Amino acid sequence: MLTLEGVERVYHEGQPVHALRAVDLHIDSGDYVSITGPSGAGKSTLLNLLGLLDVPTAGSYRIRDMETSTCSAAMRGAIRCRLFGFVFQAFHLLPGRTALENVELGMLYGGYRRGRRRRLAVDALERVGLGRRAAADPRQLSGGEKQRVAIARAVAAQPQVLFCDEPTGNLDSTNTAIVVAMLRELNANGLTVVVVTHDADVAAEARRKIQVIDGLLNESR
Amino acid sequence: MRLSRRRSRATDLSIRPSRLRLGDLAGEAALAVLSHPGRSLATVVGTIVGAAAFVASLGLGSTLNQQVTSSFDVRRATEVVVQPEVSDDREPWLAEPALQRLTRLNGVVAAGRRVTLPEQPLHRTSDPRHGVVGAPVLGTDPSALRVIAPALTTGRYFDSFQEDAQAPVVMLSEVVARQLGVHRVGVAVFIAGRPFTVIGIYHDVTRRPEALAAAIIPYSVAHRLGSPVGGRGTKQDVLIETFPGAAQLIGRQAPLALRPEAPTELRAIAPPDPATLRREIEDNTTRSTLMISVIALLIGTISIGNATTAGIAGRTGEIGLRRAVGARSSHIFLQLVLETAALGFLGGVTGALLGVLTTSVASVANGWTPVIEIRVALIACAISAMSGLLAGLLPAARAARLSPVTALQK
Repeated sequence: MLTLEGVERVYHEGQPVHALRAVDLHIDSGDYVSITGPSGAGKSTLLNLLGLLDVPTAGSYRIRDMETSTCSAAMRGAIRCRLFGFVFQAFHLLPGRTALENVELGMLYGGYRRGRRRRLAVDALERVGLGRRAAADPRQLSGGEKQRVAIARAVAAQPQVLFCDEPTGNLDSTNTAIVVAMLRELNANGLTVVVVTHDADVAAEARRKIQVIDGLLNESR
Repeated sequence: MRLSRRRSRATDLSIRPSRLRLGDLAGEAALAVLSHPGRSLATVVGTIVGAAAFVASLGLGSTLNQQVTSSFDVRRATEVVVQPEVSDDREPWLAEPALQRLTRLNGVVAAGRRVTLPEQPLHRTSDPRHGVVGAPVLGTDPSALRVIAPALTTGRYFDSFQEDAQAPVVMLSEVVARQLGVHRVGVAVFIAGRPFTVIGIYHDVTRRPEALAAAIIPYSVAHRLGSPVGGRGTKQDVLIETFPGAAQLIGRQAPLALRPEAPTELRAIAPPDPATLRREIEDNTTRSTLMISVIALLIGTISIGNATTAGIAGRTGEIGLRRAVGARSSHIFLQLVLETAALGFLGGVTGALLGVLTTSVASVANGWTPVIEIRVALIACAISAMSGLLAGLLPAARAARLSPVTALQK
């Protein structure tokens, strides 16, 4: 489904920094992949490239045999919107809007009509167990609830790949367990899950465990 | 539609480029503005003040103009004076039929003859060694007296009986009366050695302010005084009171009515057209108030730009998220510019209302009639929306250029 071949990412800020060097990686549909490694090793760079939030400086990245390096920014945006879901450590929920409106925002740029967005968002909130909190402002929610709203936002439009960047970084152990269980269930239903994490327990859930050290990948099954 | 290579490749995934419906764009901008009233207010406060200053200064300006011209209109805009281009002895245009022709003109309230004698010696007793006062003497017929319309302190006007009978009566201005020591009517004063009975003392005049330091006697009597009419320093003219707004017209018609055979021999002096005058005054006051207003609005624009930059800095994470869920940089740009334009417009509306309120309160407190042009309020709203849009361009472009990764890290 997702194929990286010889992918490099070099940051040019004064001295060129090789965040990723000649990476080859294939992720199949339905995979559950964890990406671990020390800070600054290139975990997030890898996730950003996979999620089309960033563009490689060299190499090829294909999504279902479609080469993405020739994609316009608008097309990459559309793929992010339609095929991918994102969960971040910082939640990135908009204050001043209800949980439901935050979930709807995930589908805003996908060309869905308002009514459809609303229906999908209500469903997604139900699935993460927050149907009753639909009208709450994110500022009134606990950290765990915030991340569940963020997960609902990521999966509402039924994407094919879910990218999680330190999804439990701001959560206590109880909420971490809830989020991990959710990811497991989503994966069990066929969703491809890619998780960047520092937490060994979260990484242990994945079937494929990838370590990034100094821009190089090392996979253990 | 012909698809580019890139597009046809992309259709392999059967995905269309991301898009944002116009209604959704407007909805997002509205939500962003309304769900953060504090941030919105901080952004727009400069514009509110600017628009309020714009409307209030222009409103108060035109209110004052109206005030100036309306008081001006009442006194001066109803007065015409007709003078000969060259003095001649026979003065046929001062004959009774000429005056009747003039009086019949539509727009004339009253018209009468006046003769102005140069300074004459006035004194209380027959002995001129005791306090001689020098003052110009006006000879008017009752109609001309009505045009001057002295405001009486005591006594009365002379009328056509005294005019026809050439009665030696005089009306003194308060200034002259005080110098002569005259405080009541009925006493005698001497003008150029001839006795006159004081029948009225006045403290003000509606027209011809030169009468404020003079004595007024009947027109027919003025002939008998020492200086012969038409002599050195003696001036003849006709005073006309018109209906409001008719002065210009009567000024054009009067010479023809008085002297149809040679109208160019006469010169009519009418006050400037009130409309022209008002425009002149408005031009002057408007220019200065407009300067202040434009500066106020400029400050509003700068402040909206500043506040927007600060506001967007606090929304970097939101922008990153929008990019992650598919927004193009143009979507970000459009939304932010639409937000500042909407904020500018709302600020303009609020400011305009405040300006109207300020003008009304200030006018009512001073007893003026508030004059507010709705056009000014609309212009304030339009300029504010425009300034919001302009102020938003730069910060929005900067925010739209942020890469999703950079934005999400904030």
